[in-house]
Amino acid sequence: MIDAFFRLILLFAVVFLTACSPKPTVHHEQLLVFGTVVDIKLWGVEAPEAQRLITQLAEDFEYMHRSWHAWHAGPLGRVNALLLEGKTFTAVPSIMPLVERSSELSLLSGGLFNPAIGKLIALWGFASDKPPKGPPPSDVAIRAILEQRPSMSDVYLEGLQMRGKNPALKLDFGAFAKGYAVDRAIEFLQEAGIKNAVVNAGGDLRAIGRHGERPWRIGIRHPRQAGILASVEVEGDESVFTSGDYERYFDWEGKRYDHIIDPRTGYPAKGLSSVTVFAQQADLADAAATALFVAGPKEEDWLPVARAMGITGVMLVDEEGGIQITPSIQERLYFEPGPESGSEATAPSGIRVSQPLMIKPVNVNPVNVKPPNVNPPMSTPVGKSADSQTL
Amino acid sequence: MRRWGLTRGDSVVLLLAFILVAGLYVKYWHSDGHGAETLVLLDGKPWARLNLFHDHDLVVPGPLGESHIQVRDGQVRFTASPCANKLCVHTGWLKQGGEVAICLPNRVSLQILASDPRFDAINF
Repeated sequence: MIDAFFRLILLFAVVFLTACSPKPTVHHEQLLVFGTVVDIKLWGVEAPEAQRLITQLAEDFEYMHRSWHAWHAGPLGRVNALLLEGKTFTAVPSIMPLVERSSELSLLSGGLFNPAIGKLIALWGFASDKPPKGPPPSDVAIRAILEQRPSMSDVYLEGLQMRGKNPALKLDFGAFAKGYAVDRAIEFLQEAGIKNAVVNAGGDLRAIGRHGERPWRIGIRHPRQAGILASVEVEGDESVFTSGDYERYFDWEGKRYDHIIDPRTGYPAKGLSSVTVFAQQADLADAAATALFVAGPKEEDWLPVARAMGITGVMLVDEEGGIQITPSIQERLYFEPGPESGSEATAPSGIRVSQPLMIKPVNVNPVNVKPPNVNPPMSTPVGKSADSQTL
Repeated sequence: MRRWGLTRGDSVVLLLAFILVAGLYVKYWHSDGHGAETLVLLDGKPWARLNLFHDHDLVVPGPLGESHIQVRDGQVRFTASPCANKLCVHTGWLKQGGEVAICLPNRVSLQILASDPRFDAINF
């Protein structure tokens, strides 16, 4: 009988020791490059290979940072100087693809995403390594730039020939370069045979594949308080980008001036505290997050812009904390409890989870709108790509 | 009384041992997404690793000056920083696996480590 008992123990030991055998893990690296923190996670990749790829990515990010910087000396600075002269010049190769793609996205956004307003951004003091302290620029100075209506259509690009057609033109890819760089990083990883990865550049990310047996888990930070507002599972290939008024701003005489400038008024866009966009391409998500932030909190304003840009997944948080979400992501978002509800963040019943924010689902197509999803488990099925859904 | 060659005393000892192991598993191994440690990075390199269940007050010398970090009750936060906008301080307490707080100007960051983190990446 004692033999039977020890055989049983042995069986358990075999089972549990098997479960303890090494399994594929995440290779995680944090890089201080591109003027921000770039967090890279690769799943199921051998450490030496992961290290080699990440080292290469770090060099690529540094190159892109130098090439596209809006106020440091470099290729974009030279292009801006030549555009100002109004003469035809040979385009700089590292800048051309950004001009082409951002022109296309600017057009789709109806000009709300406008990388040609670098002079306005500089006037507000946001084209600087040090955050501005105020005062805000004069209305006269703002109008002087605004009246010349700088836009991407003022950039003439034909083959290798480039010319500026507006003396108020200054390119600033601050609302786009991060997305474009993340796309290039993901492309590089995919070409190297990587199937499961997250590239998170300063809080804006694109994820491919899965974290092994489960999707990638993404937390979206609350724009107005400490902690996480909502979480979402991502798999396949999807980008999550947020534009918020809390990233760069200054306070002057009790008023906050944030860095997202409305190209129509020349002043910081008002009404929203953050816009989160879900899309496959990171550059599209980046540009759309800015365009929708500028469009403002009214559904009749931002919805046509989202439609025009082909965006299906959006979450907007207005200045009062009200939330609007599109149906395509409504079922995927799990709203985290506030600090007052303690640590029971994943309680499946959700009854104790207090949701202090008003959620207003936006019904683009006239279909039934379900109440907001405040407590799905993290295993809620996830669409392969938000781009494949309708709003 | 003997059953499977065990005395009553053996059974009691085995039962207590099982309860002890189960209790230790729940307390120290079971993952509910909360982290047990925080990793402090300076210039992207690991600088300190702190147990979240012991109180710590840490000063990290960054290029701009000192970043002050506090650990209390399984949570960690920046309490002071030489940077201009104090985004790292405003991030507040971190406790769930995968949560991060970053002071880019002073090149100091915190991240919560967990065996099965609640978040793989934070969007902001």
